[in-house]
Amino acid sequence: MPTLTIDNQIITVAEGASVLDAAVALGIVVPHFCYHHTLGAIGACRQCAVTILEGSQKGLKMSCLIAVEDGMVVSTCEEESVAFRGQVSEWLMTNHPHDCPVCDEGGECQLQEMTIGAGHGIRRYRGNKRTYTNQDLGPFITQEMNRCIQCYRCVRTYKDYCGGEDFGVMGSQQRVFFGRFKDGPLESDFSGNLIDFCPTGVFTDRANRFRTRSWDLQQAPSICPHCSLGCSTFPGGRYQELQRVRSGGNRLTNDSFICDRARFGSDWNNHPKRPREARISGEKVEFSYALELLEERLEKLVEEYGGEALRLLGSPRASFEANLLLKNLAEKYGAPAPYYDAHPRRAFAARMAASIPSGQLASLKQLRDSDLILMVGVDPLAEAPVLALALRQAARAGTRIVALDPRPLELPCDFEHHPLTQESLLRGLSAPEENELLESLRQQLEASQRPVLVGGGELLGGEGLRLLLHFSESCCGSHDCLIFPVLHGPNSFGGGILGATGDSNRNLIEDLENGNVRALICVETDPAIEHSEPGRMQLALSRLEFLAVFDHLPTNTVATADIFLPTRTIYECAGTFINNEGRMQAFDPVLEPGIPIVVTGSGGHPPRQFETTPPGSAPRSAVHLLQWLLKDRNDLFGLRRQIVKELPCLRDLDRLEAGDNGRRIADCGDKLEESRTEIWAQEGELQVLPITARYGSDLYSRWSQSLTSRFEEPSVWIHPVEAAERGFVNGQKVVLRTVVGHFHLPLVFKAKMARGRLIVPCLPGTPLEVFTPGGLSLPCKIYSEVDNA
Amino acid sequence: MSSTPQLLFKNRKPGRTAFLKEYCKTGGYSALVKALKTMSPAEIVQLVKSSGLRGRGGAGFSTGLKWSFFPSDKPAPKYLVCNCDEMEPGTYKDGELLAADPHQLVEGMIISAYALNVDEGYIFIRYAYEGQFKKLQKAVAEAKKAGYLGKNILGSGFDFELHLHGSAGRYILGEETALLNGLEGKRPNPRLKPPFPAERGLFGRPTTVNNVETLANIPHIINGGSEWFKGLARNPEGAGTKLFGLSGHLNVTECFELPVGIPLSEVVEVYGGGVWKKRKFKACLPGGASTPYLIAEHMDIPLDFDTLAAAGSRFGTAGVTVFDDKTCMVAVTLNLLQFFARESCGWCTPCRDGLPLVCWLLEKIEKGQGTMGDLEMLKEQYRHICGRSFCALAEGAMGPLDGLMRLFEQEVIDHIEKGHCPF
Repeated sequence: MPTLTIDNQIITVAEGASVLDAAVALGIVVPHFCYHHTLGAIGACRQCAVTILEGSQKGLKMSCLIAVEDGMVVSTCEEESVAFRGQVSEWLMTNHPHDCPVCDEGGECQLQEMTIGAGHGIRRYRGNKRTYTNQDLGPFITQEMNRCIQCYRCVRTYKDYCGGEDFGVMGSQQRVFFGRFKDGPLESDFSGNLIDFCPTGVFTDRANRFRTRSWDLQQAPSICPHCSLGCSTFPGGRYQELQRVRSGGNRLTNDSFICDRARFGSDWNNHPKRPREARISGEKVEFSYALELLEERLEKLVEEYGGEALRLLGSPRASFEANLLLKNLAEKYGAPAPYYDAHPRRAFAARMAASIPSGQLASLKQLRDSDLILMVGVDPLAEAPVLALALRQAARAGTRIVALDPRPLELPCDFEHHPLTQESLLRGLSAPEENELLESLRQQLEASQRPVLVGGGELLGGEGLRLLLHFSESCCGSHDCLIFPVLHGPNSFGGGILGATGDSNRNLIEDLENGNVRALICVETDPAIEHSEPGRMQLALSRLEFLAVFDHLPTNTVATADIFLPTRTIYECAGTFINNEGRMQAFDPVLEPGIPIVVTGSGGHPPRQFETTPPGSAPRSAVHLLQWLLKDRNDLFGLRRQIVKELPCLRDLDRLEAGDNGRRIADCGDKLEESRTEIWAQEGELQVLPITARYGSDLYSRWSQSLTSRFEEPSVWIHPVEAAERGFVNGQKVVLRTVVGHFHLPLVFKAKMARGRLIVPCLPGTPLEVFTPGGLSLPCKIYSEVDNA
Repeated sequence: MSSTPQLLFKNRKPGRTAFLKEYCKTGGYSALVKALKTMSPAEIVQLVKSSGLRGRGGAGFSTGLKWSFFPSDKPAPKYLVCNCDEMEPGTYKDGELLAADPHQLVEGMIISAYALNVDEGYIFIRYAYEGQFKKLQKAVAEAKKAGYLGKNILGSGFDFELHLHGSAGRYILGEETALLNGLEGKRPNPRLKPPFPAERGLFGRPTTVNNVETLANIPHIINGGSEWFKGLARNPEGAGTKLFGLSGHLNVTECFELPVGIPLSEVVEVYGGGVWKKRKFKACLPGGASTPYLIAEHMDIPLDFDTLAAAGSRFGTAGVTVFDDKTCMVAVTLNLLQFFARESCGWCTPCRDGLPLVCWLLEKIEKGQGTMGDLEMLKEQYRHICGRSFCALAEGAMGPLDGLMRLFEQEVIDHIEKGHCPF
């Protein structure tokens, strides 16, 4: 590792690091624009000039392009480099408008900081400034091209890193333009990264325009709750309103990127219908009254009917701490161990993932560095979008990617797709040695150095993941074949850990239907949406003597609960999620709960209402509620220490800090010897597979009004050959008959999907919302609307 | 005047093009036969090295030396690219050469490809050279038919495919790495060096990029030998002949093949027929728009790479543009800088934003609105742009500004003091 001197300070850095990296590590500010630690150096802006006094190349050099050498001596203070940096800054500012007071970037603008850092103050240019006509880039991003300083970061982010195809560089000389060929919404699912990567105010958050200054925001490191990847985020809010989500910087997971669902799908937190008051049978009551009543009723119930009559349902949305306390609550009342996912197949997938030895799980970083990736039953853009970005980075480095999946997959990179049905995938995995394709892939995985198997819990289920684990063990050549399981929610894996230790071989709905259960407590979950058979679940719930719900989303089950207690969201309390690779990551509260304060513009006085607490501030964290019922007086840190004592595999839990890289769990004990028989449909029977849509299928994006523009129209998909055999044409209106109902839908041809199957995306607010992804395909029949009549 | 041996222009006749039959009549493709049948690739590289041939595209780097760095032992594909994106103002020699005798380039490329063990070549032609493009197309087709291109050329076992590619027409495409990006169908921004094209060039493979005139010289060196080639120059350090494209305020503005090392006075007086309208010589660009001016005191300097570098200018492409004594040099410089600012690809700051700032200053001075502070700022701009841009475009743009500051500072001051252009 080379040691060098910069401004009389000595530092040792990694081989291959640039002089700029070394200066940054020393805390020396060398202004720069085009360089970004993830995107790399391109030497375009010429802002980072320093003087190399000793080294193989001497004189004024761009520090981002010069690799460190042992014994190098660098000065950032030599007159010539100081003067040059000032000049570059003057050049960059010749056309930059003086609109900082009305620019949303103001206060967190790299251009402001670096201009000051470069020492440029007075612009000598007195001519006209160059101006542009801005484009309408859709509902998420505002473009203000006059502010552009041509650092090329946006195009390197959108096109090179994220693989977007509808954005680029146009023009030349001083009229370089960064945008789309013509106006229109940006198509990439990662478009919002433009906001983070633009060093000035060219690309800003449209929904949040003119609303806040960065210094007025309350911000805290957090974890994205939309999928199981646990991307690090940095949300900010003001006036009790969550206003924006930016990417965090965990280099082991999402690096500096998040998807648009994570960034623009956060206004569920401010939803006008969000339940913020405790309710008993639908009537608003004091929070403490409801809580005491709940305790009273629980005690009475247990006294009368025994603990068996009570069931507890945790959730992949709830923090690990809340799920664990639920287990303690079950023990307190002598109730059976809780369920951690209302969807039994998902719960089993989570248990199976959690049973994979920790050393065999891959991180997103390992996936980016892998040399062969086999994806089985995963649609990254729908189920774990940032996974698609990691795949792209691997592909850019030359890694081959093979996908086995019935869906018409799209990825922002080249890959081989074998459209096999869910059933033939599962059958293939159950006897891979008899399957020609799997056998040849096995040999290739065995021969590669850093192979990774990506397995989708939604499509494969626990049984499929178990088979995939066996398959990966048969692929171990000189190196382990790592597994990257994709699960349903941010804490599915955590629920899997807890589920594996209890009696998990039960099915909530059967328990409810056999009539022995009288009460159910749901913690941040709506079984009537999340169970694989929503209609049947709704009926089963109505048979309960009493239903208690702790939640923060305006679900139907909240409305029908006998006792409802509002909970704080992840933006309003601290906690831990365990992501799909077993990484424990903490989140901190950003805001106090409360109804967002509306700034009135009409000069009117706010309503004269006198209360001792802010409106809507009643919600408490699920952890707090459960601790109250348990009479557990630990603070969060004490609670985590107690968890570490009980579950040694989580030994680093009490050392977590929000915003760090998180810590992997250790192996949780014996391998899960659980297996479930699933009846897989035969090839040749027409089946319909409900799948996760890119937007709307997860509960948080379902209640994010800002994302509705990205929701697709309901339709049923079919392979064109399949359709031709039945005499259907593309776009034709058909009737789909299934056990859950019949649906009038347009038929959409998808040439890249599996034959012999129909596919429906599960979309909220449409008739298709009665389907839940994560199950097996269902028998169905399809008619043209005319025949049906 | 006609005593100069004509190599490149030997088949040049007004208004017509020498195709295969005519080219072969004067010894065309005999060098290819000689090279393939009697010489090893290493021998050719050595011969070119000892001939003293220097790149004719403007930089003047030894062609043989450049070739000796080429990793010819690496597996295929490897590429030879001919840079025919001739867009330097005042330079039109490659166009003249191709219009007269396109087979020279084709033969030169085949021999060069053999010397470098390259099996695929591209000729990247300027947008405006439509006629030359068609002539080259015909020449390539003829060569293919005659067995000089394709598989197993002349039974030697050597294969070479040659493609033509029309440029989209920007000055930056003459920069070799930007050209490679353009050839790949990408935006023609220059690439970071290293890696150099010899290591990772076109489509990521080893590539060498040479100018039209450089490649056209190769058959003549094969046939004549290195000593003969060296002896063609007037000065002892020089080698070969050079195509001089005359333009500007001369009586004759044509392209001539003249020996390297010829003094400027001879070019202006003998070949250019003297300055027009009986005016006096004031200055000239010796080798295209990016070379600093020469003035009357430089008349006797032999025109070659090292001699002109010593005089503070560059030989460049030998496109000599002459200005008479009624010319305002501030206006000339402004005109040239406007070209460079317009042709900046927009990649790096000194070029994209620095050159327009220089134009703004020159414009102010030319209009008589300049101050002494503007002159100081101009000098400052020169200091900051020179050598600090991403590629050589901005560096080249500083050539005329350097000449203006060094040789015509008083003229600039006159503009400022008089408050108007004195011309």
